[in-house]
Amino acid sequence: MLKAENISKTFYGEGTPARALDSVSIAVDEGEFVSIVGRSGSGKTTLLHILSTLQTPDSGELTYGGTDLGRISERELNMMRHHDFAVIFQFHHLLPYLTVLENTLLPFMNTLRPVSSGHVEEAKQCLKRVGLDDKWNRLPSMLSGGEQQRVAIARALVKKARYLFADEPTGSLDKTTGKEILTLLQELNREGLAVVMVTHDHQYAAYADTIVEMEDGAVKSVHTE
Amino acid sequence: MNILTIPLRNMRRKPWRTVLLLFVFALGVMSVVSLDNVSNVVGESLEKKLTAYGANILVAPNVETLEVSYGGFTLGDMNMGERFFSGKETVDAVRSIELTDRLAAVAPKLVTSAVIHGYRVGVIGVDWEEELKIKSYWAVDGHYPKGEQELLAGAIAASRLGLSAGDTVSLGQETYKVAGILQSTGGDDDKVLIADLGALQHTIGATDRIHFVEVSALCAGCPIEDIVTQIQGRLPEMRITALQSVVKQRMYSVSFVKELAMIVSLVILLTASAMVGMTMLSAVNERKKEIGILRSLGYFRRQVFAIFCVEAFLIGVLAGAVGYVAGYGASFRILEVLNVAQDAEIVFNWVRYALVCGAIACLAVTAALIPAWKASKIEPSEALLSL
Repeated sequence: MLKAENISKTFYGEGTPARALDSVSIAVDEGEFVSIVGRSGSGKTTLLHILSTLQTPDSGELTYGGTDLGRISERELNMMRHHDFAVIFQFHHLLPYLTVLENTLLPFMNTLRPVSSGHVEEAKQCLKRVGLDDKWNRLPSMLSGGEQQRVAIARALVKKARYLFADEPTGSLDKTTGKEILTLLQELNREGLAVVMVTHDHQYAAYADTIVEMEDGAVKSVHTE
Repeated sequence: MNILTIPLRNMRRKPWRTVLLLFVFALGVMSVVSLDNVSNVVGESLEKKLTAYGANILVAPNVETLEVSYGGFTLGDMNMGERFFSGKETVDAVRSIELTDRLAAVAPKLVTSAVIHGYRVGVIGVDWEEELKIKSYWAVDGHYPKGEQELLAGAIAASRLGLSAGDTVSLGQETYKVAGILQSTGGDDDKVLIADLGALQHTIGATDRIHFVEVSALCAGCPIEDIVTQIQGRLPEMRITALQSVVKQRMYSVSFVKELAMIVSLVILLTASAMVGMTMLSAVNERKKEIGILRSLGYFRRQVFAIFCVEAFLIGVLAGAVGYVAGYGASFRILEVLNVAQDAEIVFNWVRYALVCGAIACLAVTAALIPAWKASKIEPSEALLSL
C-alpha cells in the first residue's frame, strides 16, 4: 500500500509563498484505481508528484509497503521508482529521437549492457497490448497524440510497474481518443495495475474506483464505488 | 540498445548542430596538429640552417701565454706547453659523449704556415667531410678538393699569391693542386690555404697531430653546458670553450618557433573546448524534459551525467580523428607556402593519431563536466514542471 499522511507542501516563488498541499492524507492499495479531481491550483498535480516520489513533501509521511520513503537513501528511492512506479504525463514525454520500441525499452537502457532479447520481446508484446504492434519502428513525431500516450503506457507496462501515476493523461487528446486511453487504463487496472490519475474532468474520473476531490490544497471529499 | 544509444541518437537528431560543433572542434585540432607539424619541421630546418652558420664549441689544449719583453723591447707572446695533440683520440673522445646525437660536426684542424712565391701564408689542414658541414655557406670558383693533394685558396691569399684554380703550389717537399678559390667570406678563411688534414700532417711530419677542434652542436633541446661538461669529462686536460652567444641565439630561434606554436595551439584548444562546454550547457537547458523523463524512469544521477559525457566523448573522438587527418594534410600545404617543404619529414604516426584522438576526447569530456554535473543535479519534478 502507498500511503500519504498529513502531507504539506509550500512553493516559494517570487511573490508570497503558495501553499499547494495542507495536511493531505490518502492511501492507495495495490490494484486500486484512484482519480484525483479538482480545479486548477487545487494541489492535485503536486499530490501526484509527491505520491510518485518525483517531489518531496515539506512535512508529513509517505510510506510504501510500510517503508517510510522520507528515510530511505536516494539510491533506494531510485530503485523503487525504477521497478515499481511509472508516470505518464499530459504531453506524453517521449524522447523524440528514439523509436517507439526504444522509448518503450528506455527503463532498461540505463547501462552499457545491451537490452536483452527477452525485454525486446516483452516490449513488443506491450506495444501490441496497447494497439501499436505495427508501429514500433516509428519516431514519436510520426504518431498521433493518442498513440504517443499509448507508448508511454506501454513503457509503464514493460517494466511491470505496480503503480501507474497519470497526470492529465487525456488532457491533450480529443474525446474519443481520451476515452480509448481511459478504457485501456481501466483494463490494465483490472489486470492488477494500481492507477492514480489526476484529471479535471469528472466524466473521466468516473472510470476510477475511488474519486478524491481536492480544493485549496486539501481533500474535500472521497467517493468510493 | 543500451545507454550509448541515447547520446548517439541525440547527435543524429540535430545533425547540423552536431556537424557544426564537430567542424569547429576538428578545425581547432587541425590547427594544432598542423602547427605542431609545421613548427617541428621549421624548427629542424632552422637548426640545420643555423648549424651551417658555424661551430659553437672549441676544443683546444691548455696553453699558457707568456708575454716576452726585455729592456722596453717587446718580442710578442710566447706559448708555453704542448700545442699539438692527437687528432683521432680527441675526435673519438668528443664523439663518445652521451649527447653525441646532438653533435652535428666535429672538425679537427692543424695550423701551419708556408712561404709561397715569396709570401708567408697560413695553411690549415681540415677534415673535408666535417669541415663542409660547418662551412656550408662556402662557395668556390672551381671545385672542392677531391684528392689529398688538392687544396682551396682563400680569396685574399689567392689574390696575393696570384693563384687560380688549376695552379700548383709547393708546400715543403710536396706539390698541391689548387682545386678552387674560396669566394670571399669576410673571415679568416680568406687569408689562408686550406688542405686535407692527413696530407698536411704528412707534409709537415706531424702525423695525427692537430691544434684544435671545432664542434657544432644542435642545442634546441639541450643546454650547451651539458655538452661542454661531457666533453670536458672525456678530455680533462683540454680547454673546452662554448661560444655562448651563438648557441643562445640558436636555441632562442628554434625554441621561439616551437613555443609560439604551443601557445597558439593552447589558445585554439581552449577556445574549442569552451565552445563544446557552452554548447553542452545550452543542451542541458534544452533537454530538461528528457532529463526529467529519465529520472522519473529511475535513471541515477550518474547515468544522466554519463549520457552527457559520452556525447562529448564521441564529439571529441570524431573531432580528433577528422582534425588530425586534416591537420596532417594541411601541414604539407603550409610548408609548401612557407617554402620549407623540401625539409619536411612528416610521417603519419598511428600511435600519435590514437593518442591525439584520446587526448581530444578527454578534453571534450573535461569541457562537458560542468554541464553534465548540472544535468545530473536536475530533479525530475523540476525538469517536468518547468515545461
